[in-house]
Amino acid sequence: MTKEYDVIIIGGGATGAGVARDCALRGIKPLLVERFDIATGATGRNHGLLHSGARYAVNDHESAEECIRENMILRRIASHCVDETGGLFISLPEDGLEFQKKFIESCLSAGIYAEAIDPKEALLLEPSANPALIGAVKVPDGSVDPFRLTTANIIDAKLHGAEVLTYHEVEELIMEQGRVVGVKVLDRKSGERKEIRSRIVVNAGGIWGHNIAKKAGVTINMLPAKGSLLIFGHRVNNVVLNRCRKPADADILVPGDTISLIGTTSSKVLFDEVDNMYVTADEVDLLLREGAMLAPSLLHTRILRAYAGVRPLVASDDDPSGRSVSRGIVVLDHATRDGVEGFITITGGKLMTYRLMGEWTTDLICKKLAVDAKCTTAERPLPGSSPQKREQTSRKIHAVPTMQRESSLYRHGDMAERVETSTSAKRSLVCECEEVSVGEVEYAINALEVNNLVDLRRRTRVGMGTCQGELCACRAAGLMAEHGKYCTRRAKQDLASFLNERWKGMAPVAWGDTLRESEFTMWLYDGVCGLTTKKEEEK
Amino acid sequence: MRYDSVIIGGGLSGLVCGLRLVQAGKRCAIISSGQSALHFSSGSFDLLSALPDGEAVTSPVEGVKVLAEQNEEHPYVKMGVERFAALAAEAVATLQGAGVEVEGDVAKNHYRLTPMGTLKPTWLTLSGYVRSESAEALPYKSVLLLNAEGFLDFYAQFISDELRKTGTTCRICNFNLPALEIIRNNPTEMRSANIARIFDNEQAVEALSQIISREAGECEAVLLPAFLGIERGDVLARLQERCGRTIRVVATLPPSVPGVRTQIALRKAFERAGGVYMLGDTALGFEESEGRITKIYTQNHGNIAIEADDFVLATGSYFSQGLVAKREGVVEPLFGSDVCQSESRGEWYERDLFTAQPFEKFGVRSDASLRILRGGKAVENLYVIGAGLAGFNPVKEGCGAGVSMLSAVYVSDNILKK
Amino acid sequence: MIVKENSKNNFEQCIKCTVCTVYCPVAAVNPLYPGPKQAGPDGERLRLKRPEFYDEALKYCLNCKRCEVACPSNVRIGDIIQTARINHSKSKPGLREFTLANTDLVGSVATLAAPVVNATVGLKPVKAIMDKVVGIDHRRIFPKYSQGTFEGWMRKQRKAQSTFEKQVAYFHGCYVNYNNPPLGQAFVRVMNALGYGVQLLDKEKCCGVALISNGFIKQARRQAEVNVRSIRTAVLEKQLPVLATSSTCTFTLRDEYPHLLGVDNHDVRDEVELAVRYIYRLVQQGAKLPFKADAPKIRVAYHTPCHMEKLGWSSYSIELLKMIPSVEVTVLNSQCCGIAGTYGFKKENYETSQAIGEGLFRQIEASGCDYVVTDCETCKWQIEMSTSKRVLHPLEVLAQAL
Repeated sequence: MTKEYDVIIIGGGATGAGVARDCALRGIKPLLVERFDIATGATGRNHGLLHSGARYAVNDHESAEECIRENMILRRIASHCVDETGGLFISLPEDGLEFQKKFIESCLSAGIYAEAIDPKEALLLEPSANPALIGAVKVPDGSVDPFRLTTANIIDAKLHGAEVLTYHEVEELIMEQGRVVGVKVLDRKSGERKEIRSRIVVNAGGIWGHNIAKKAGVTINMLPAKGSLLIFGHRVNNVVLNRCRKPADADILVPGDTISLIGTTSSKVLFDEVDNMYVTADEVDLLLREGAMLAPSLLHTRILRAYAGVRPLVASDDDPSGRSVSRGIVVLDHATRDGVEGFITITGGKLMTYRLMGEWTTDLICKKLAVDAKCTTAERPLPGSSPQKREQTSRKIHAVPTMQRESSLYRHGDMAERVETSTSAKRSLVCECEEVSVGEVEYAINALEVNNLVDLRRRTRVGMGTCQGELCACRAAGLMAEHGKYCTRRAKQDLASFLNERWKGMAPVAWGDTLRESEFTMWLYDGVCGLTTKKEEEK
Repeated sequence: MRYDSVIIGGGLSGLVCGLRLVQAGKRCAIISSGQSALHFSSGSFDLLSALPDGEAVTSPVEGVKVLAEQNEEHPYVKMGVERFAALAAEAVATLQGAGVEVEGDVAKNHYRLTPMGTLKPTWLTLSGYVRSESAEALPYKSVLLLNAEGFLDFYAQFISDELRKTGTTCRICNFNLPALEIIRNNPTEMRSANIARIFDNEQAVEALSQIISREAGECEAVLLPAFLGIERGDVLARLQERCGRTIRVVATLPPSVPGVRTQIALRKAFERAGGVYMLGDTALGFEESEGRITKIYTQNHGNIAIEADDFVLATGSYFSQGLVAKREGVVEPLFGSDVCQSESRGEWYERDLFTAQPFEKFGVRSDASLRILRGGKAVENLYVIGAGLAGFNPVKEGCGAGVSMLSAVYVSDNILKK
Repeated sequence: MIVKENSKNNFEQCIKCTVCTVYCPVAAVNPLYPGPKQAGPDGERLRLKRPEFYDEALKYCLNCKRCEVACPSNVRIGDIIQTARINHSKSKPGLREFTLANTDLVGSVATLAAPVVNATVGLKPVKAIMDKVVGIDHRRIFPKYSQGTFEGWMRKQRKAQSTFEKQVAYFHGCYVNYNNPPLGQAFVRVMNALGYGVQLLDKEKCCGVALISNGFIKQARRQAEVNVRSIRTAVLEKQLPVLATSSTCTFTLRDEYPHLLGVDNHDVRDEVELAVRYIYRLVQQGAKLPFKADAPKIRVAYHTPCHMEKLGWSSYSIELLKMIPSVEVTVLNSQCCGIAGTYGFKKENYETSQAIGEGLFRQIEASGCDYVVTDCETCKWQIEMSTSKRVLHPLEVLAQAL
């Protein structure tokens, strides 16, 4: 039996979630399908920078304007996902101050508040900044948590009638008379295959959208660009640091939740590499070298892990060589572009503009479905981001120990009230680095569509702290099994693959304390617990 | 300060070495930069469970002969395959002498129950832990798995599901005690060591024995997480006596309570025999003359040097900072000993965490007497023992504790022979 | 050996091994205390994110530093916790804290009227007021104040002491000055027997340990600066070592000044040491202590105070005691007695304090010793109040045997 939806959205990144929410709020019934978990692609693999747009101001006026508009909107609608840290563009002696003047002018003309401040004042504002700086410009940068943002969009979409299927991979698009009318999906958990029909299919697959488009016989010229980043053990800086020069490698240092991030590198990769990328030793060295120019203390700070994401850069349609690349939002109506009805691709853009991408896409959907409804996503706060309710929640959970209470509020905003804290057993901590309680883990398991430990990590930060899951992973796996998420055999497999997922990011930076931590983890799980990967079990 | 021998590193290896030296009448000091890896013990000591090529070893004495063919740099091979059994016997005697009761056979590995419910080969197991002679199943047809309510570092279902597969039926029961209610109020301290402290109190032992008697029914044995008493060592015996039942413990996530107790027992035995144990001190520098180390300097003792005839490096691997991995390479930070390692950082790791990691085999180079090599030359009175040695994988080969103790015995013999 | 002492990021060396939690005396008995790992490195990371993550429950840390001694990663856990208190605590110290912290001010008043004060603080109604109004537990026995200070006694000794060719400077601390001048006199006797004269520092202020733990940081810093200045004069100008008899004063002068108060002492730190360490070294270098042949035999049990454990210096006291022919020494397991300076005086900490010390008290009673010996005055108060034994300082034992 097949069910009919108005729209099927392929891809559970921020963009897909944004489209789903916008559709749902406008009374259109969407189904979102995602082959893994939400925010597994480029959404969760970038800086988490709440761009002011300043970085684009000189070269890409349009992107800069989009950024600052969306920046202000996100502060309002997604307050629990945003940290209003402010940002600095610092000029080092080798950069000179020439760029600064042009930079400030461009910012102001794009509507971005930008003010040159005295280097001494800049160091007071951000003591970790390179003391050699000769100039600094204050801009309204911040940080945004992509996992929280995507989750909040999904929650709201579902609240308004959207359905979401994670771990469902689109294998084929159903085409009838040159028109896309649905998708054939593989349920990756059960192995089942089914057909789902809809009036419109939206391709929001990021870099993977290239292959999805192919299934409709449509070509989109995409260039996968790998960007590697390093995560440091704690907040080195509390203000976003950028270099005031033409954008280059590793020149943004962002404080995100408990950590700081430096990135990115940029290199072309092949399409068959995008599913499994490793950060090389050379990339690590480059990130450290350049990062230390922004904040010298990075050289002595523990690096938790390295990871890489793939930007879906889209070549302009009128340039078959693929050299002219747009970083702007690309909405492709394949009916007008390729003669394929019922199929839209939304790509390009960036995390910052996910909402706008959702708006434009939904506008197009509305036009196609002849629905007359206005976009309200710029005004309606996301679940968790109501300031009044946050106050109430804070008072309600006052008796919870400070660090746990503040962490829960920080992560879930007013939704923290949904975390059970009434008994000591629920307040017991699973993850001590990030203060994730039993109650919070249970909330995520029961209400936030968690299928494995990596999903749980994205919802709660379990295993994202200093020890990278060393003590909490086992506790969390136990809780997952206890709540019937899986049997104990799968729990142990999941535990091993979670630890391996952590190791993947640690290995490129495993020296010093990071290697000590890994050795300890190995002793515990391989030694004391006798845990193995499935491969070895079979052997 | 002057001693006959000074050992840097106060974990299993350093303590076994120190104990044998003081018992032989040497004046001996141990400098320990914090507590040791015994705090994460599984409750068992492995000797040799697998060969470098992955083949399982059932008899360590036999296995070590094959080991010699596969890796001549392995510490066991360096110490002499023919001495293996004798060194192992000495190690056991040293543990027993310190009041650390262990069971096991150098000719045949037995099996310990992991917190995941699987059986893993090992050499010695602290008495009180559940163990089996068979790799297939526990010696019990039915067990009661008892856990403290809200203790997250022991997940009984993992164990019961595995045991069921091997034909042992399991019943799980969570218990509560008034004293547990108190520590549960602390979100982070409902951990093994704090629960263990409850059972230092006789009342709690009594209460637990009543719970066991009430719940155990027809079960052949009762299994509990290893959290019975930090100061007291007789809690298990007491419970068995009161309940008239077979009661055994299973390893938990850290801290390992029996590991802590082992550390304390070894240290006390060492101190009783006249040894000086300096906890929380770190060796920072040394002086040498004519190919010998003459004295070392520590953080706490500052300008008062510690002099000795012989020095033993027992500072462990990365965890204990006996080896320090830097971006450019791995170093032994105190004496700048020669370190065996791969050329580039890219070769340190395997992508699967659970396969043998090359960095685990890195370590301090030594000669046949386990004297440390510096610039390719052996230092006359400086030895290396334990996890800092090169040429073995403690986890994959299941030989970490064995290498620690056997090298400690071997080096103490070498020192005493002089 | 490379020991990372990058104090700013020291907490990052923590690899979450949980060893510190096993050895924390407070976490073991007080569920309100988050434990050293949470309060220290885990919490520090969160506090760097936002100061709101500071938990007032950090006040339960008694700053014994046993977590640091146990830590296999050289993390300065205790310093991290105390620094967090200094930087973030919003609770304002009150009258009780003022009284407990200003050991020298209160001491100088009390010694003037010692018999009255001693009698008064022992009275039931006074204890009740102190308990209810001030918040000092009524079960506490206050240390007695002496009639006349040690400094007063020393002034009379100046001439005699100056006749010695070799000299040392003495940091006597508030306890010796106001409560127990005889300990200072014992120290002078021992030093004189070794051929050293003793002189006071130009100006000595309370080391400030109680000010720090009670939240009077500015005052502590001011006093630290005075002391470091005096120590500099002694060490750099007069070329004198500065000796102390209190392990806590010594630890504070050497390590808490730079770590917690940011008062630099690197140029003189190594010259500030415990008297027992200095004397041990003299003996090692051949100095002879002229012990009496007919001294009565005594059995003593040595208790290692927390800050002595942290200094790593208890072996100096123990070795010195072992040199005395008339003394038989046993060493008690090193564990906290629970008093931690002024911590145990506070009403809300009394139960915790006694629970922490319980194991030690049992050990002492079972040891069969005549006296307990220790280097810390507050351990002395706690042990004398909680056991049947009298407590001596190693130097008192030494002096008695001369």
